[in-house]
Amino acid sequence: MNEEPRIGVYICHCGVNIAGSVNIKEVVEYAKNLPNVIEARDYIFMCSAPGQEIIKEGIKKCNLNRVVVAACSPTMHEHTFRNVLAEAGINPYLLEMVNIREQCSWVHSDNKEAATTKAKLLIRMAVAKASLLEPLKEITFKVNKNVLVIGGGVAGLSAARDLAAKGFKVYLIERKPVIGGNTARLGRLAHAEIKGIDLVGELSRQVLSSPNIHIYVDTELANVDGSVGDFKIKLVKNPRYVNEKCNLCGECVKVCPVDVPNEYEFGVSSRKAIYLPFREAYPPIYVVDSENCTRCFECVKVCPMNAINLAEKTEEIELTVGAIIIAAGHEPYEPPIGEFGYGVSSRVITLFQLERMLDEAGPTKGELKLDGREPKNIVFITCVGSLNTTPNAYPYCSRMCCSSTIKNALMIREKYPEANIYILHRDIRTYSRGDEQLYLKAGESLIRFARYREAPNVIVNPDGSINVRFFEETIQEEVFLPADLVVLSVGMKPPKDIDKVRTIVKVGCGPEGFLREAHLKLRPVEAATDGVYLAGTVTGPKNVIESIESGSAAASKASTLLTKEEVRVEPLIAVVDEERCSGCSICIGVCPYGAIRLKTQEKARVAEVDPALCKGCGACAASCPTGAMQQFGFKDAQLKSQVLAALTK
Amino acid sequence: MSKDFEPRIVVFACNWCSYAALDLAGTSRMKYPPNFLVIRVMCSGRVDPQFILEAFRRGADGVLVAGCHPGDCHYIEGNIKALRRMTLLKRVLEEFGIEKERFRLEWISASEAEKFVRVANEMLEKIKPLGPLKVEEVHMHG
Amino acid sequence: MDKPKIAFYWCASCGGCEEATVDLAEKILDVVNLVDIVFWPVAMDYKVEDVEKLPDGSITASFINGGVRLSEHEEMVKLLRRKSKLVIAYGACSSWGGIPGLANLYSREEILRYVYHEAPTVENPQKIQPQLRIKAEEGITLELPEFLPRLLPLDLVVDVDYYVPGCPPTPEVTWKAIETLLSGNLPAKGSVLGALDKSLCYDCPLNETKPEKVLIKEIKRPHEVIADPTKCLLIQGLVCLGPVTRGGCGALCIKAAMPCTGCFGPLDEVIDYGGKAISYFASIVDYSDEQEIEKTLGKILDPMGIFYRYSLPASRLRGKITIAER
Repeated sequence: MNEEPRIGVYICHCGVNIAGSVNIKEVVEYAKNLPNVIEARDYIFMCSAPGQEIIKEGIKKCNLNRVVVAACSPTMHEHTFRNVLAEAGINPYLLEMVNIREQCSWVHSDNKEAATTKAKLLIRMAVAKASLLEPLKEITFKVNKNVLVIGGGVAGLSAARDLAAKGFKVYLIERKPVIGGNTARLGRLAHAEIKGIDLVGELSRQVLSSPNIHIYVDTELANVDGSVGDFKIKLVKNPRYVNEKCNLCGECVKVCPVDVPNEYEFGVSSRKAIYLPFREAYPPIYVVDSENCTRCFECVKVCPMNAINLAEKTEEIELTVGAIIIAAGHEPYEPPIGEFGYGVSSRVITLFQLERMLDEAGPTKGELKLDGREPKNIVFITCVGSLNTTPNAYPYCSRMCCSSTIKNALMIREKYPEANIYILHRDIRTYSRGDEQLYLKAGESLIRFARYREAPNVIVNPDGSINVRFFEETIQEEVFLPADLVVLSVGMKPPKDIDKVRTIVKVGCGPEGFLREAHLKLRPVEAATDGVYLAGTVTGPKNVIESIESGSAAASKASTLLTKEEVRVEPLIAVVDEERCSGCSICIGVCPYGAIRLKTQEKARVAEVDPALCKGCGACAASCPTGAMQQFGFKDAQLKSQVLAALTK
Repeated sequence: MSKDFEPRIVVFACNWCSYAALDLAGTSRMKYPPNFLVIRVMCSGRVDPQFILEAFRRGADGVLVAGCHPGDCHYIEGNIKALRRMTLLKRVLEEFGIEKERFRLEWISASEAEKFVRVANEMLEKIKPLGPLKVEEVHMHG
Repeated sequence: MDKPKIAFYWCASCGGCEEATVDLAEKILDVVNLVDIVFWPVAMDYKVEDVEKLPDGSITASFINGGVRLSEHEEMVKLLRRKSKLVIAYGACSSWGGIPGLANLYSREEILRYVYHEAPTVENPQKIQPQLRIKAEEGITLELPEFLPRLLPLDLVVDVDYYVPGCPPTPEVTWKAIETLLSGNLPAKGSVLGALDKSLCYDCPLNETKPEKVLIKEIKRPHEVIADPTKCLLIQGLVCLGPVTRGGCGALCIKAAMPCTGCFGPLDEVIDYGGKAISYFASIVDYSDEQEIEKTLGKILDPMGIFYRYSLPASRLRGKITIAER
């Protein structure tokens, strides 16, 4: 825009909110004398219909091409006033707001003179910047109606189910050979009289019955290009070596010579290199664990269906989706060898191993026997891996362990009424519905609770017996317990390789590695990257109920995007001056969104910004060594003009 | 130093955390000294050390760059880019003879209005005894 | 018609710019054929009076190298300005202060004290120090030029029409600048002559060896590594200022596996060369942890000397701000 700036300054009283502390008359007179200002007016409520009319009238009458509104924070009414400009026929981005309420009148109401002076300076800064504003064009994209759900646990399954029910096509990918996630490995869930596997089974049935859902197991995310409404996805499907002709006859398992701990039973039992993760697994097809397979081909020889092909290769899959839901879950905290005696004694197990042992369908058929004898003294230690109990532990509370511990303790009590059961805890947090009753019931069932501050010492004696020693905080005494079984209530940690997914999708994470919401309270299931949603424990510890809830919530949020035909994006993005760009590519490494690329133009390489990917942080502009990269609305010259205006004496 | 000395301090505040914290200070009717003039940027990662040098050149008595806490950046790691730049800039400012009290990089989340008020008071308290920053133009034309 | 008149003058410089003029080699003969050199203290026997006698504005162009550090420099450049149609800041020192400009981190008193008394190699038991005026034995008063409080780039002392960058400008740049001036087709006042409007990376043979993302984990000083001359030096951890420095030098240092130190100065949009260099360089230090960042950047022992090597007097703050002005 080459025309001379003609600026109108509109100053709002906001009733007495501004006018009570700022001398409006004085400020209006001051504004009138600022460079390029054609008209300066005030009104009691600039955001009201008559207030907006004043601006529109000014634009028409004075032939204004820039508008400065001094009122509340731009987060309140920038949008309102942009519309006013548009309605008056000038580009909405030729507006500059001055925050003289939140950042002036309200905080300086004790000093009216200072508030008035500051309001003048802030307006001077805005006028200086407004003179350099440019008209900008909003960016719009068509929205693809498909969704990618990453993770086949309860959060991902419920998100997929809900989106499919709304008519969107869902691609659900799962890294493991089976859907169901961590919940599938849990035993009886608290309150519901349902086992984890059955809950997953029910959710899976709902998902599988929908023609809108495509499930890819053994599949990982390889790359994401594009942006909100139009993501180009690349997946890698790892070989399973067994195809859908498999009839689950189990002949292959009989001949497989390999024995490895079964991770689906938390190592409580072993499995073969060809195996079915668990009985109700979906898909109901055996899988070969290529890491442990010795390639003896015995299984291939005995398979009656010819379903095994050990030469199978990885496969690339390409998809286009409008939205992505990350429901990549968590991993249980695994104590390092020696922590609380774990890995040193077979009498020290994790809560999840206990769950498998207490499951009637599990490897021990629900029997809790050590060396053929029922344990008499059972000690649970909670907060293992959480609340900084040990140097390896995470600082947060894992939310589900207290209730889960109590639930399991009660199950043991039911089975073994004579056992001494102790729960050593840092704190008991039974916050979820019905959990407090479980806690009371545990007390009534003579399960003994004791509180520690310093991590209890688990002593494995040379004869294999175990003692637990700790300082009890309530009675203020050192306590010494003999134990036949120590159960470590382990917490949750971010899943392995989440950094890879997070880097591909470009989502931030917190200090512990869980993914970060756009806003913890206001946007809890959205990532800061548009079109990306977060569900389940990938954002931090949750119990099963909360995970399912967040899956549905993420689906609902995603559907508000997917039902739109087009998305609009603010054009305050980076822009390259190709004349000045030297192709040094510094900006490319600085951009967190991979939005910048080099293109060759007239034999020279210059940077190019993809408006669909740029989120407008401006980091590239600040690091551009030549000044060729700028950010619309926040150009070097615009920001410098504010600095100068702020400091002119 | 003159008692009338009122430092002028330029603040670069990121839109999502620190600018929001300043708004919160207002809606909570907190009070802080009127010496702080805010320039809103979308992210502290937009702040170029050149702007800070320009501010001091033009007589800013102090400069505050405020961004989201590490890990909280709306743009993943823009604040970290600011941290990298300001770490190096601080060393140069010192050599330019600008007292370290005059420049601060602070992480102020959207809920930390109180922190902004504290930082503002602290900065003012420390800058006032230093007196105005004088950077004279030194040309010999004419 | 008379040939255009040209003057050369040196202020606070090392003499390298004079050498660079001679480095034009046989082309210098073309220059001599095309112009009349009316003043060139380093090479020809003209006196100041000869310049004073010339009518104002009669010199077509004065090429001045070096920064203004002495009152003598100030006097001479003001004289040449008066006598010349065009004044050209020739070389980094004249354009932005150059290496002698780093002295702006110290007051004149500190500099004189160090140079005449404290430097380890100085033996000065009588504590002799230059004086402005001294009465010689014969009753004659001798005057020396004043050592000014700071070094100033030429354009802070007189109006400058064009700049020729480099420490020193290469013969190619010098020749291109001369061609431009002789062509009669003069660019806008304040332009940089003979060089590119893009940074060194544009011209650098190693630019294409950069990975997609230019990020570094470790900073190395040139003496610590034998750099691979076939790979971008920056990604090898060397502080290369090529991205932030005007191109046109032909990447001479790079071709000798030495990183760019920035002698061609900033591009037009840059507000403060050192500030921009810091911004770009710190941005690519690939750590998120505060301590790691500090540790890695701590490897830069002398940030002023690295990032403001040629431009301190032209920077936004000109040098140490506490140095008293005259």
